[in-house]
Amino acid sequence: MTIQKDAERNETEYLHRFADFVGKRVLEVGCGEGRLTWQYAKETRQTVGIDLDQDALRVATIERPSDLKDGVHFSRAMSEQLPFSKETFDIAVLAWSL
Amino acid sequence: MVHALSEIRRVLVPNGILIDLRPVLNHWPVEVKSERETCATGRIRDLPLGLADDEAANKSIAQAQQNRWFAREAEEFFPFYYSWDSPSEMEEWIAEEWHEFIELDEESTRATRSTWALGDADSAVRVGVNMLITRWRKE
Repeated sequence: MTIQKDAERNETEYLHRFADFVGKRVLEVGCGEGRLTWQYAKETRQTVGIDLDQDALRVATIERPSDLKDGVHFSRAMSEQLPFSKETFDIAVLAWSL
Repeated sequence: MVHALSEIRRVLVPNGILIDLRPVLNHWPVEVKSERETCATGRIRDLPLGLADDEAANKSIAQAQQNRWFAREAEEFFPFYYSWDSPSEMEEWIAEEWHEFIELDEESTRATRSTWALGDADSAVRVGVNMLITRWRKE
């Protein structure tokens, strides 16, 4: 099956209109396979994507561009129990996950 | 969900930003689109489980706002298009991925199939998912 998602790139446009990611530490909740992550991660100081789906996280890790290996990390975690210290991130993105 | 919002607030710096990006059911439009024209062929029917999910999300964020965890700064809707080469591919996707939340009624199915069959050679089928994006500031 051939499917195209957001060929018009509306999501990327609105995301950048709503947040300035440059130099920020970003937490993405519900990152899945990283489809949204790749739309902004290059601009950030650090991006952490969390999800409960281990298979999706595996895909995200495999598809992570080589120039983002140091700055983008994926982790299996529950949003109700985040494994991070307080005041770690500048921006949190709820990616289709509320 | 409210507990997740509390956790997100905890890990955000003072004045940190929360972006809530999610689809909201609203009888999403179905269209047949080619380079030359776009034809509306129907609307998606929202199912109770999908509507309940949206309501639960709205209640959670309203609770977070009421608790003064976050202040709303900006909000907009925009379309996120899922596009397939043919109606059968769209029907298959809806049956496999979205069947708990939405359905395509018979009239919309028929109209989409016939419009696509009689349309331009480059015609594709698409559904315009109604997306909500909101920027919240940690209080």
